[in-house]
Amino acid sequence: MRRIGRSLAAATVLLAATASAEVEFYQTVDRQKVGTEDTFHLTIVVGDAPEGATVQFPAPNDFEVLQRSQSTQMSYSLGTGNQGVIKRVQKYTLTMRANRPGKLTIPPAALATAQKTYKTDAITMEVVKGRTQADAPPPSSGRPPGFVDPFQGFFGDDDPFAGMPQLPHIPDPDVPRSESDLFLRATIDKDTVYAGEQLNLTLHIYSRVELSSVDAVTMPKLEGFLSEDLDSPTQLAPEQRIINGVPYRSYLLRRRALFALKPGTLTIGAAEADITTGMFFQGHRVHRKGNPLTVTVKPLPKEAAGFVVGRWRIAAEASQTTVQVGTPIQVRVAIEGRGHLKSAVMPKLTGPAALRIYEPTTTDKTVITHGTLGGRRVQEYVVLPQQTGTFVMPGLNLQFFNPETGRIEESKTDPITLTVTPGAGGANFAATPSPGAPAEGPKNRLEAGGLKQLRHTAQFGEASRPLWQRAWFLPFAAGPFALTLIFGAFGLARRVAGATDPASEKRRKARAARARLAAAEKLKRSGKTQDFYSEVEKALYGFLEARLGEPAAGLTRDQLDKKMTDAGVSEAVRTGVKSALDTCDMGRFAPGMGDAHARASALDEAAAAMEAWDAK
Amino acid sequence: MTLGLFAALLLAQQPSYYTPEEAQALFREGNDAFYKDPPDYAAAKAAYLKLLEHGHDGADVLFNLGTACLANGELGPAVLYLERARKLRRADDIEANLSIARARQGDQLVGGAAVSEPFLERVADATDDDAVSIVSLASLWLTFALVVLFRRLLPGRRTWVAFLLVMSIITAAVSTTLVGIDAWFATHYVEGVVMPDTARVREFPGDTARVAFEVHAGLKVRILEESGKFVRIRLTNNLEGWTEREGVVPL
Repeated sequence: MRRIGRSLAAATVLLAATASAEVEFYQTVDRQKVGTEDTFHLTIVVGDAPEGATVQFPAPNDFEVLQRSQSTQMSYSLGTGNQGVIKRVQKYTLTMRANRPGKLTIPPAALATAQKTYKTDAITMEVVKGRTQADAPPPSSGRPPGFVDPFQGFFGDDDPFAGMPQLPHIPDPDVPRSESDLFLRATIDKDTVYAGEQLNLTLHIYSRVELSSVDAVTMPKLEGFLSEDLDSPTQLAPEQRIINGVPYRSYLLRRRALFALKPGTLTIGAAEADITTGMFFQGHRVHRKGNPLTVTVKPLPKEAAGFVVGRWRIAAEASQTTVQVGTPIQVRVAIEGRGHLKSAVMPKLTGPAALRIYEPTTTDKTVITHGTLGGRRVQEYVVLPQQTGTFVMPGLNLQFFNPETGRIEESKTDPITLTVTPGAGGANFAATPSPGAPAEGPKNRLEAGGLKQLRHTAQFGEASRPLWQRAWFLPFAAGPFALTLIFGAFGLARRVAGATDPASEKRRKARAARARLAAAEKLKRSGKTQDFYSEVEKALYGFLEARLGEPAAGLTRDQLDKKMTDAGVSEAVRTGVKSALDTCDMGRFAPGMGDAHARASALDEAAAAMEAWDAK
Repeated sequence: MTLGLFAALLLAQQPSYYTPEEAQALFREGNDAFYKDPPDYAAAKAAYLKLLEHGHDGADVLFNLGTACLANGELGPAVLYLERARKLRRADDIEANLSIARARQGDQLVGGAAVSEPFLERVADATDDDAVSIVSLASLWLTFALVVLFRRLLPGRRTWVAFLLVMSIITAAVSTTLVGIDAWFATHYVEGVVMPDTARVREFPGDTARVAFEVHAGLKVRILEESGKFVRIRLTNNLEGWTEREGVVPL
């Protein structure tokens, strides 16, 4: 009882507020100046219209109404004295087009209520022949002002979006018996498609009751499809529909573009939504489940395997066709069309080795036109001419499967011919710049890195083995060691065998004497005078002992002379030997014999005596 | 001994398959096939191979053959012949084409201790075999001669001979050691080149053994040992395994 009372009070407040509100009624256009081929929008706004009020739209003879849509917005606010105020605004949008040029007038719209008829102001339009849309700046060119796009008119007149149907009409849905006041319906625009072809899934609420909000929408799992969102309204916009003679308001919830990934029969599950009906405090929440759908997906022909599906065109253009060597140019390759842009594979720009083609930068822009997904992909290549001459970059060929015709179609570009002229100073080759930083002006470049040239003449011969592998090498290398060993062994044997031989003993002693003389030579420059002469004397006596066969030390000069005479030594040699011995005696005991000259003389005298003996 | 010498003389005087003029003409024929438009690499290879088959060997023929194989995309034979040419005579053009072949080779050797060749191998690689052999022989005989001279001279007159003797002994020791290193590597260090596009390397010499890894044409490997139809190979990063003998051709 308390609840009913509260509702009545609220309704009273609302009625009072509505009755006290002023009617708002006007019309506007989005543009004052249009062309005869342009469309524009006339918006008629009705705020707080009383119950039963009807809107009479203007019916100008000079304009054609192409489309009409309606939306309603309601707002609630606290007015003076904390009194609730509800404002209901209805907007009617008419898409119109002028029939002739000139200054034309859109007549006033009228709002007829029980009390009076409201009228809007008339609107005067300036209509010119043709189109004025081109005069307007592009919505998003992405280029700084003043930048002249060298690729204007890039694609010819073959517009892949041309002739595309408007959004498909949604057929009347089947009304469920149990939930006829409020139900959820999903529809698809095609139930048979090719794999990769677009179909649109649309989800609507149909209602005969007032809706407050749609709290949650659960879309079905779209297994086997690629899905792209086309429309997800944030506000409910009702549209009047008469279904089986019963008026409904339909509200668009979602519109998705689907691309089947594989052939077969695919099922789209039922969507679900939580909806709040009624107004404000009286609303209550209901859950609705939609309908499942079935799609038959046809396979692509075998020849079309791997091709992008849709309708596409390709274009290629170079920023310059005559360029100096070493000056980079830009080549832009673009594809545009309807279909799933992300699945599209672009052909790669190629060219002769004289043109260095760097990896392109890729830009994708998705476009939704009349509910059809498409877009444009642009690849920009930097091409650096390396040599002078005329070079051709072959035309590009894009093949695709057009589901509308059921055939493989192709779009081609013309080959790009690039004339490369010599750089400054007549250079015919270009220096290699880094990919990110094109060369500053033409420069010479002699590119290395290829295979080295063949040898033009040959020297033939069997592959020679290294010397150490030859058979003679090892014996030849071992020769010195072997000979050393042989001589060493021979000497040793001779020494052993000659140990008791008097002649050998004599030779050994003679060698020892000579060695002693060599030792005396080392003392020649030392300060030890006595030691030097003693050593020379010992060498002489040793030599005499070796040659006479008996010790000579201790003999007088006469005894020595007699022994030498007996041994057959000549007079001159005997004199020399005795003189050398006398020199040694003098050197040891007489002053003045210590200087270097005297020592050298003594040494030479002793050596001369020995050599004279051996030479006899 | 006399018979052997006679046979060797006979062999040396046997006429070769091609006269020098014919061999040179065949060589030019191969070059012309290589440089004609479009190139006929197969014909160029056939001409060079004919020369090799009939004993007209040499670094020039091997280099051109390796280069023709490289231009024709046959990486295994290209590396084989270029490496053989390099063994005969080192030259810049051989090194350049070999580096191109290595750059095209499909195996990237990662990790392992021997990222670079061992020191002794590098020494052997950098040594001119014939030059060190000659220096070794000359210094050995010079040393012997100086020893004899040293012994014959009187003790006071041996100083310069002693100096030369020391120098000669050092030279002989170093050069003979280098010859020894070369000989050891030549007999114990056999290298080969992988010829097929892909060769499976197994953990054990057998067809059913697990495949450890794969190597690709043009990879230079060391051949360690043989077992049946398999050879054990070692990569420069010390990775080892067994692969079929016919897939690896020794240098």
